[in-house]
Amino acid sequence: MSTELWVEKYRPKTLDEIIDQEEIVSRLKEFVRTKSMPHLLFAGPPGTGKTTAALALAHDLYGENWRENTLELNASDERGIDVIRKRIKEYARTIPLGEVPFKLVILDEADNMTSDAQQALRRTMELYSRTTRFILIANYMSKIIEPIQSRCAIFRFQPLPKEAVKARLRWIAEQEGVEIDDEALEAIWEESQGDMRRAINILQSAAAIRKKVDVDTVYEALGKVRPREVKEMLELAVKGDILGAREKLRALMYSYGLSGIDVIKLLHREVLSSRSPLRLNGLPLADLLVLIGDANYKIVEGADDEIQLMAIISKIALLSSEAKSSGAARK
Amino acid sequence: MRLMPLIPWTEKYRPKSLSELVGNEDAKKKFIAWLNAFLKGKAHKKAALLYGPPGSGKTSLVHAVASQFGWELIELNASDFRSREAIERRVYGAATMGSLYGKRKIILIDEVDGINAREDAGAIPAILKLIEKTRYPVVLTANDPWDPKLKPLRDACEVIEFKKLKKREVMKVLSEICRREGIECDRSILSAIADNAKGDLRAAINDLQTLAMGKKRINLADLNILGSRAEQASMFDIVRTVLTARKPEQALAVTRLPSLDYEMLLLWLSENIPYQYAGSYRAIADAYEALSWADIMLARMKRKQIWQLLPYALELMTAGVASARDKPPYRFVRYSFPQRLRMLARTKSSREKFREVASMVARSLHISVSTLRTEVVPFLRVIYENDPDMAKRIYRSLGLSKKEFEILIGA
Repeated sequence: MSTELWVEKYRPKTLDEIIDQEEIVSRLKEFVRTKSMPHLLFAGPPGTGKTTAALALAHDLYGENWRENTLELNASDERGIDVIRKRIKEYARTIPLGEVPFKLVILDEADNMTSDAQQALRRTMELYSRTTRFILIANYMSKIIEPIQSRCAIFRFQPLPKEAVKARLRWIAEQEGVEIDDEALEAIWEESQGDMRRAINILQSAAAIRKKVDVDTVYEALGKVRPREVKEMLELAVKGDILGAREKLRALMYSYGLSGIDVIKLLHREVLSSRSPLRLNGLPLADLLVLIGDANYKIVEGADDEIQLMAIISKIALLSSEAKSSGAARK
Repeated sequence: MRLMPLIPWTEKYRPKSLSELVGNEDAKKKFIAWLNAFLKGKAHKKAALLYGPPGSGKTSLVHAVASQFGWELIELNASDFRSREAIERRVYGAATMGSLYGKRKIILIDEVDGINAREDAGAIPAILKLIEKTRYPVVLTANDPWDPKLKPLRDACEVIEFKKLKKREVMKVLSEICRREGIECDRSILSAIADNAKGDLRAAINDLQTLAMGKKRINLADLNILGSRAEQASMFDIVRTVLTARKPEQALAVTRLPSLDYEMLLLWLSENIPYQYAGSYRAIADAYEALSWADIMLARMKRKQIWQLLPYALELMTAGVASARDKPPYRFVRYSFPQRLRMLARTKSSREKFREVASMVARSLHISVSTLRTEVVPFLRVIYENDPDMAKRIYRSLGLSKKEFEILIGA
């Protein structure tokens, strides 16, 4: 089934279709040729083709029946290591179909697992190593425990180079009958850096606004993409309206259904943007990053989303009232 | 003085025989009749479902039968993991094989309405299979038997209703416990405890034990420390004590309340700090800082089972909050119930629907639900608002209806 979402529609299906990451692809092709491979660990920033490479490898190993020989799991969605272990156990019970002597387990976002869960995973990997090979996918290799790293061949995915991203976007636009100029491509690159998923999503949403995409269309799309509530929440916090900010926070969490971590991610992006209300108010970026990073840590440790985010909001209100009064004193 | 291990009286005084069990005479008769029929191989159903409000004696009835007749009780309760696998491993063998010493058995699966469709996957079919194959009586209990997911179980069971206990029945048990513990307690106090418990004997016994902690005589004044089981009224007072304390030690006093629901207190404080401390950014930020630490201490305590952290958590949320700098002068503030609980309850079904659609879409896009929500849904929203045709092609290709797509993007 082909999907009309361009990231999926234009996702390379085979290793041959992957145009970048040549080093990695050529080694993966060697695994296909010899029908043997170790466990693999794909590490690298989002949108650099890790999942695509894993799926393409599965496709090339098993042909059209790849789905029967591949178990795809996402560590962020499965409810704990016990569920993951159970699913792997059930899946590894049957022998692989076809000529390849092993089945694949693709475990995405593996770095979202606690180190305890990773220890348990390591034992599971050993237990079924006769019949299965694991491909672990992670953004940060350092978040994968060493015993797992040492059992895997590690592939580092680099952010895609600018020209490769622009060429791919130009090609997709052509296929879709969308006109796009170079300035617009530059703007998409600026916003996505080497993250291909984000780049393609920006392109498609811009194309939804106008079939002739220029730089203004790109910014229009980007302006609409961010939930207004995040920015408004920060503006209210900066103004010192803590209750107003809390209302926006609750809209994000209970109406939009974002988790605390989702809000943290959006806040993080907002703080780094040079046009953020926080930066305009002259708050030190380092202080803001410490605040957000600290809350992120606490939420991951199991703390309450709303309380941690309210702690950030009230601290921003305090910092910005201090910034204002010291600014006034200097005048 | 040596400290005695604290056995909950609800366990210590669980009835050992049918005659000790108060109330619900009709249910008892019906249950015994069913058991007799079962033993003679004449029962129509091989399981019984006991249902009724908390503390009405469902579990105790099964315990009483087991201990009176010397049967082995095989029990799986809500705190156990109750997946298909767990039921098969823990109960299925015991139910289908004879016992080594020829001892009879009775199988109890407590609180079946607490079975979680997702976490306890396959539990209900496993229980049905257990009922089909068992050689011994199987008993299920539930508060709410009309939950649609329990329909197949209802059909397979002899269904027996338990009613709330009457006040005099509750009082009878309480005074018997007082006698055996050697505690002096006025009838008016027992009556107040029974009123407060509203027919829930377990709650009444817990309250009695709380009041009797370290005492041989319970006075009317002691009743004040009893968290009213209509919780709310007292929570207002606790919040007021913390947020208007002039010294941190005054706030600390609330941690000595025996029935303090500290997780609820955390939510109440979080709700009301901005109202009580309005006007001082420093005070609000300090208070939230303390609260956020209390919160993380509780999380660590629960995750790593480090119970020593509880005092720090309690101190942080009371004295810690009260030690905020630059607090504004006292003024009367009408406190508010934590709004998020209300909002969460209101949006529960829509969040569940979202989750259902989102996990399907996330799977076909090979990403997590979280990535879908933050990295893809915002773009889908822009597409939907600007190019309905493109949106339609997308949701059709994902196998979604328009309605489902709108749930996904929150339109």
